[in-house]
Amino acid sequence: MAIMMAFQTPHLEILGLTTIFGNVSTKDATRNALLLCEIAGRPSVPVAEGSPEPLKGGEPEIQDFIHGSDGLGNLNLAAPKSKKVEKSASEFLVDKVSEYPGEVSILALGPLTNLALAIKRDSSFATKVKRVVILGGAFFALGNINPAAEANIYEDPEAADIVFTSGANIDVVGINITTQVKMSDEDLDELKQSKGRHARFLWDSIKFYRDWHVKSDGVYGIFLHDPVSFVALIRPDLFTFKNGVVRVETQGLCVGHTLMDQGLKRYVS
Amino acid sequence: MAQPKKIIIDTDPGIDDAMAIFLALRSPEVDVIGLTTVYGNVYTTLATRNALHLLEVAGRTDIPVAEGSHVSYMKATKLRVADFVHGVDGLGNQNFPQPNSKPIDKSAAEYLVEQANLYPGEITVVALGPLTNLALAIKLDPAFTKNIGQIVLLGGAFAVNGNVNPASEANIFGDPEAADIVFTCGADLLAVGLNVTHQVILTDHDRDILAESDGIFAKYLSKILEFYFSYHHDSYSMKGVYLHDPTTIVAAINPSLMTYTEGVVRVQTAGITRGLTLFFNKQKRFNEETEWCNKPTVKVAVTVDAPEVVKLVMERLMH
Repeated sequence: MAIMMAFQTPHLEILGLTTIFGNVSTKDATRNALLLCEIAGRPSVPVAEGSPEPLKGGEPEIQDFIHGSDGLGNLNLAAPKSKKVEKSASEFLVDKVSEYPGEVSILALGPLTNLALAIKRDSSFATKVKRVVILGGAFFALGNINPAAEANIYEDPEAADIVFTSGANIDVVGINITTQVKMSDEDLDELKQSKGRHARFLWDSIKFYRDWHVKSDGVYGIFLHDPVSFVALIRPDLFTFKNGVVRVETQGLCVGHTLMDQGLKRYVS
Repeated sequence: MAQPKKIIIDTDPGIDDAMAIFLALRSPEVDVIGLTTVYGNVYTTLATRNALHLLEVAGRTDIPVAEGSHVSYMKATKLRVADFVHGVDGLGNQNFPQPNSKPIDKSAAEYLVEQANLYPGEITVVALGPLTNLALAIKLDPAFTKNIGQIVLLGGAFAVNGNVNPASEANIFGDPEAADIVFTCGADLLAVGLNVTHQVILTDHDRDILAESDGIFAKYLSKILEFYFSYHHDSYSMKGVYLHDPTTIVAAINPSLMTYTEGVVRVQTAGITRGLTLFFNKQKRFNEETEWCNKPTVKVAVTVDAPEVVKLVMERLMH
């Protein structure tokens, strides 16, 4: 949904998509990204494949029970014709940001592994990127993987801590925000009936996602996590923000917990 | 009026502990049957000395004091002590004389277990410091969680920043392992965290009123409070002090001045957020079993009638 919205938004130049595990494996994410570019009629938009695993290594946990095993609601779509670019996601990010310093914004909708790798690859990345909008974390609210952690951060907490403390201009949209924005069954029905270019495709692929919301949260409809984060990129005026340092727990019971210092106290040490 | 509720105050006095103890002694709803001591605001030895001293000031040397653990549940000896909040003597650096009275021979945990067995279901423990003694009581006697009437504790920061660091509140940070044991022990438990106590503020003006009052507690407190006020001024840029411990006593004597929510609380014991209290309301169904599943629920205070709490504290301390 977020990608289709981006393609439909005027005055926005989409330099590329980079892929990451999370809802599906990185390989499947790349296939889906290519497919979505084709469906949108934009097959020439470059897709750079990201890391197959979190920074600390090991198999990522894939949330296929939320989005279907193909990540797009089990629609059994044909394989894409287009191919990913040669560069890795982190190389692609570093190259684009270096090519247009101060001009490129990144919308990060999955675990932050690629961004952390880009920061490690190029120490000036954080200062050259214009803005990073991140869907991740649960600020003074419950997580969605467990009570402590939101899925994108939980999947690679080490990467998230690197990104949050990198010094880049970062706006974070956590599930404390995105769970306030629901598309109800009525809204979904309207989407289905609409003549919008991608409405029917999106409706078909959303069904699986919607049924999971009923089971998990008793919500008859869907939370618009990724679309809301995209809106934060183009219409920050629709949000209010609070400034502060964010750290990510990487150990123990609360691994993946995002903690913001609201700056209300001068601590002793 | 109903029989007063028997309470044992587990305390690390501490300036606001002194207020809390005096408040409890002046509250007809409760009968303070004993004090147990713990490190936190000061080391345990000094906490015991201060507890005995405060009972002498109050003329209540009939109340036994049982000394608690000098080390954390995991036997750590390097403890965090908040002398920068309460003064090196814990009571605002007033050079009070040594108390004449002595603690009883039992440890705090032994005393808690003994009293809970003696009066099953009747005793409320009001815990104002790290939860080491309660965790040790649970370890000493598995039936303790059934025999104890209620545990009302000052601890945690629920969906707000902590006061030791952004993640953690001081009492929980003082012994996170003990706190996790206590929160998940299954006893009837009510937690009052910083999210509530930070709403209850005694102002400079209130302190002036205490100073002018004839009450012995009010006069005593107005002196020791000076150190506590200057700490709050420096750390929070505020003209007033948080009434952490007195508010927790109020939760035991008049719970209707707060509202509560119920859920599972777990305590983070590792990493940069060590001491974080994480509350789960059991609303969402997670895909996999989490560390919050199959644990007993506790009550956590969420709102407080702060003006009424301050009024109650002031009234009782002045008369």
